[in-house]
Amino acid sequence: MLITRRTTILGTALAAATPLRFARGAEETIKIGGIVPVTGPAAEAGRFMQNGAAMALEAINAKGGVLGKKMEWVTEDDATTNPGAVLGFSRLVSRGDCVAYTGSIRSTQVQAIAPDVLKAAKPVMFGGTNTGLTAAGNPWLFRCRPNDSYSGRVIADFGAKTLAKKKWAIVHSTDAFGSGGMQSLVENLEKMGIKPVLVQGYTNQQTDFTPVVLAVKSAEPDVIGSYFTFENDLGIFARQLRQLGVQAPWVGSPSIINTTALNLAGRSLFGTYGIADYTPDSSPEAGTYAADYTKRYKAAPDNQSTWIYDGLMILARAMNDAKSTEPQAVRKAIIAIKGFKGTEGTYNFDEKGDGLRGYNVVKNEAGKIVFDKHIEFND
Amino acid sequence: MAIFLQLLFTGLGIGAIYALVALGFVLLIRAASVVNFGQGQFSMVGAYLLVVCFNVLGLPYLLSMLIAVILMAGFGVLFAGATYWPLRHRGGLPVIISTIGASIFLENIVLVLYGPSPEVLPGLFDSPGIQVGPVFMDSQYLSILVSATLLVILQYVIFEKTLLGKKLQATSQDKEMASLLGIPVAMMILITFAYSAALGGLAGMLVAPVLFVSVGMGGLIALKAFAANIIGGYGSIPGAILGGLALGVAETMGASYISVPYKDAFAFFMLLMFLMVRPQGLFGEKISEKA
Repeated sequence: MLITRRTTILGTALAAATPLRFARGAEETIKIGGIVPVTGPAAEAGRFMQNGAAMALEAINAKGGVLGKKMEWVTEDDATTNPGAVLGFSRLVSRGDCVAYTGSIRSTQVQAIAPDVLKAAKPVMFGGTNTGLTAAGNPWLFRCRPNDSYSGRVIADFGAKTLAKKKWAIVHSTDAFGSGGMQSLVENLEKMGIKPVLVQGYTNQQTDFTPVVLAVKSAEPDVIGSYFTFENDLGIFARQLRQLGVQAPWVGSPSIINTTALNLAGRSLFGTYGIADYTPDSSPEAGTYAADYTKRYKAAPDNQSTWIYDGLMILARAMNDAKSTEPQAVRKAIIAIKGFKGTEGTYNFDEKGDGLRGYNVVKNEAGKIVFDKHIEFND
Repeated sequence: MAIFLQLLFTGLGIGAIYALVALGFVLLIRAASVVNFGQGQFSMVGAYLLVVCFNVLGLPYLLSMLIAVILMAGFGVLFAGATYWPLRHRGGLPVIISTIGASIFLENIVLVLYGPSPEVLPGLFDSPGIQVGPVFMDSQYLSILVSATLLVILQYVIFEKTLLGKKLQATSQDKEMASLLGIPVAMMILITFAYSAALGGLAGMLVAPVLFVSVGMGGLIALKAFAANIIGGYGSIPGAILGGLALGVAETMGASYISVPYKDAFAFFMLLMFLMVRPQGLFGEKISEKA
């Protein structure tokens, strides 16, 4: 073989890479596969998610890992799209060495991978809040956030009872998350005898929200309820809402208080209320996590990182409880978990796969998120 | 009526951005017969350059814009060197594919360099806007409209009143003839790339305070700008401007008076209608005339 500069470089590179591969192969790990938005509109959220997962793995492995082995999280990019999520998930499944998986915080992507989850027949922890995801009878989906039937109830409860407002305008994304949330909010308001004066959908990734804002303005609501999926949309809407002079109180789904939205929308969100599955002041566990996260990453954590943190912790706990990674045994162990104190709240899994049943209400006071109260339901 | 005027203002503002990006498309179609699918990413790169100059280096706003525009012109030449030059004798399609590849590359390189976090840029003016009767005029939309008008005038002066403009026009009309007359065709094409990138970058900088600066912002605008280009007439300069404005107004009005979730559908429905009823667009030349 002729030795050229190119073959030398190639050879050196191979030589350098080989021991690394052996070193990795030497220690067997328990592998959890995860889809993560590394690219696309939620790439920012994806970074929070990776941070949360890294913290969970460190905590788990510091305490001896799972069944005496270290836990590892192997990931594929979902590109923040449904086809990307399906492709990423199928890549993870075809590896063959993952004992469980983590899904997305976006309901629409969880919905997209749900048929493949059924085929893979291994537990998938996810963060999407569309109620139908666990209600559809897929035994392998486990939710690490409260579902939208609770978010709708809490928004309705807080707006109609605590704020005592009766003229509602609802603005929602038309994707699975936004429509599910809107339905839940409308149903819960109707139970209190309130019919919203406006229910306005929009498609994700808009350049301008003037038509939506004008619709809200002409409806003259005394309170606004919202389900926004992406922070960019929320930021543009919030600014145009204030510019066009709508000052009604606003109670939003969790995206209204996440770090990116606060950064983008700034003053336009001052004085709004949000419901939050995660907030640092809601429990000692949440507080410790926030302090630890801020110390490591020099940023405030939000629910983009907490659900995956809890999800991996629950998987580790369930596998250790079951003394096995066999899917059915892990599933039973997850459902058996009662009173598990996570960063998002206290987990009590039911047969459907829902772990949490409550939300915190918080207020944006000049950019600072202030804990107001926790509302928990027992049904 | 108040609502109608408010929608008209916003529609024109958004439409002006489509028009600026569409103008970049048109110039390259005319000068080099290239449909540049990286045009939207020019806007994204331009906006990020402004973020670097203004947010990071802390330079004054207008100076930052000026530097970013100059850098974009240089970037346009580099872009031409990478996507157009090596493939220029192989027909249109390979160049189109290579611009698509370059657009994906650009989005991902910015993602790696700058991270996924969207950036916030302030507007040109501190005031959020002015109330004129029933219409709230967002100061940034006003800046966009004024800048777009100035750019169109500037472009008219350059193309119609200067020797450089005449050379550029000659190149776009008939490269062989232009080169026989001693016009440096290659140079003219590079100048067009530089101008087109600067224009796209400026559109991105103008729209950044409204849409925020994110890696995906270019794609959002470019698709509509391309539609505007077809509606206005493929390769027509007044067509690109009117097409962009019409598209902006139509989708804003359609969203408000018919249905918000179908907002994007109106833009593409309009495109389909034009393709079926008047494929040459508003100002397009009939194909037979070009022979």
